[in-house]
Amino acid sequence: MIAVRGALMLAALVACASAYADELTPVQAQGKQVYSHWCIYCHAPGVWGTNRLARRIDKDHAVLENRTDLTAAGIRAVVRAGVGSMPPLRRTEISDADLDAIAAYLTRQRAAQ
Amino acid sequence: MSQSTVLPPGVSAANFKSALRAFADAVGEQWVLVSEEDRHTYLDAFAPGDADEHAASAGVAPKSTEEVQAVVKVASRYGIPLWPVSSGRNLAYGGSAPVLRGSVVLDLKRMNRVLEIDEQLGYALVEPGVSFFSLFDALQAAGGKLWISTPAPGWGSVIGNALEHGVGYTPYGVHADTICGMEVVLANGDVVRTGMGGVQGSREWQIFKYGYGPVWDGLFTQSNFGIVTKMGVWLMPQPEGMANYAISVPNYGDLAVFVDTLRPLRLNDTINAPYTIQNPFRSVMDELSMQGKTRESIYSGNGSLPLDLITRELQARGRGMWNVGFNLFDSAQGLDLREARIREAFARVPGSKVQTHRWHRGEPMESWMRVTPALAPLAGVDWYGGPGGHINFAPVCAPIGERVSRLYEAIYKRFIEYGIDYYCGLLNIGARALVVNAVTFFNRDNTEMTRKGRELYRVLAKDGAAMGFGDYRAHISFMDDIAEMYAFNGHAMRRLNELAKDALDPKGILAPGKQGIWPAKLRDKRGTPT
Repeated sequence: MIAVRGALMLAALVACASAYADELTPVQAQGKQVYSHWCIYCHAPGVWGTNRLARRIDKDHAVLENRTDLTAAGIRAVVRAGVGSMPPLRRTEISDADLDAIAAYLTRQRAAQ
Repeated sequence: MSQSTVLPPGVSAANFKSALRAFADAVGEQWVLVSEEDRHTYLDAFAPGDADEHAASAGVAPKSTEEVQAVVKVASRYGIPLWPVSSGRNLAYGGSAPVLRGSVVLDLKRMNRVLEIDEQLGYALVEPGVSFFSLFDALQAAGGKLWISTPAPGWGSVIGNALEHGVGYTPYGVHADTICGMEVVLANGDVVRTGMGGVQGSREWQIFKYGYGPVWDGLFTQSNFGIVTKMGVWLMPQPEGMANYAISVPNYGDLAVFVDTLRPLRLNDTINAPYTIQNPFRSVMDELSMQGKTRESIYSGNGSLPLDLITRELQARGRGMWNVGFNLFDSAQGLDLREARIREAFARVPGSKVQTHRWHRGEPMESWMRVTPALAPLAGVDWYGGPGGHINFAPVCAPIGERVSRLYEAIYKRFIEYGIDYYCGLLNIGARALVVNAVTFFNRDNTEMTRKGRELYRVLAKDGAAMGFGDYRAHISFMDDIAEMYAFNGHAMRRLNELAKDALDPKGILAPGKQGIWPAKLRDKRGTPT
């Protein structure tokens, strides 16, 4: 199959970095880093996890990094249990501390509200 | 520490509790993963049926070779089967789940160091937990002079993929061929280094495969004879240039001429990396999946997708019936020579179309180069709407047009009979082989669909064997079925494999049932995975 456009993903990462880098706490920054390693390949804009969410929920809620309604508990549950076609991620892959950091990163906008 | 609700076969709850305590002494309590939540993460996420049939009793995650040795000694003492996984991301083949229910998953993901990168000699020495993503990052940080050969999904382990005979799309694409030197923990807890690694203080471990005496590396691939804790992998120096080719032929009956035209070009190395021929269904399904669409976007009928519908879809897109894609690696002048030969060969195939574009060192990378690892192929798993999964029936066939067509059609007939869409890629492995990779997608929640998928797979394994073919890889539920295809001389290969198994692992603790190789004490389990 045709590979996802690496350049696009990098562009997405860079865009996020410039948009939020100044505002992130150290834990959120750690979360963003882990997210960029483990999650972005499916959850970048235009990629399959995002497309799947767009079908299941709606387009406005498909890009996780833009969401304001995610909760830390929900994120932890989905990552460890998997959902739909997303497989669970093991503690050896994403440690509890890193998972907490991802949750902090993805809930930062909610926390700021 | 909580207790597991699943026990290793033949081990009492009390003994298992003691073993878990001993595992904790070896690796630290937090790395004995036995809670319901943790054990769930070791289930096959793409199970073609009930994932619980391959449930692990626990996971144990060592950080070093010494800890692996300690774990093996505990397993040996208590007679507990270990199922080693490196990244555990071998989805469609079982993920991190064991063949034998109740095995303890030996999760090597924490052993994730890139130990050495040598840009002068073109190799890396890695641990099992190193993924293609992490090796890519490490190589970039080291200067970017070496490129990886990444398989379709990039989160897999470099070691695991090579050991399972995985492939990539570069001149180094037969990953088992790039292995040079291993460190292996044996079932008795001993540690050996293969090849030149046998020399005390050798610095040549990663540059010469053969050492002195028998070459052991191959015996530790697709086997259950030892646990690979380090591996050398040869890496390609960044090429001066690359060219991508998309070639199509117009008619359904053109498969044989397509294969016969590509064969000499690959054999004389004009095409110097693996190619994949997409069947008509795959061309359309891939395109739709990449757009986030599923089957219902083109067809809501029961049964296998009709060929006339797919023919119309391809015509509407101006695409041929069969499409091949591959990349070439060479200097600009070298690419010119290769292009001339390819165009000359396809000028003799009526209606064929050749599209190509190039990259030269210094220019920005493009997606077709597949240099950056990705997970894009996962897009297809939801073909039937999801939650999806797939299994792959993948017999090896010589690239002789008539032979490939005969096998392809035999498989197609069964897909129609079972009413499953025929997604197929003919993947070139090395210069002399094609794998006719027939993929069965399913919705995991649809038990009738997964049952049919399993049945189809088993019928295909019997058909293939009757035609003289064998698969090169198998999902954990079908390892015995594929071993059954290798029946020469009353299964002499199985006898040899199990002779070696009993000698190297007399207590039968390493990955029982892997590749259909069962230790003496568990041979009655053969054929039991469903």
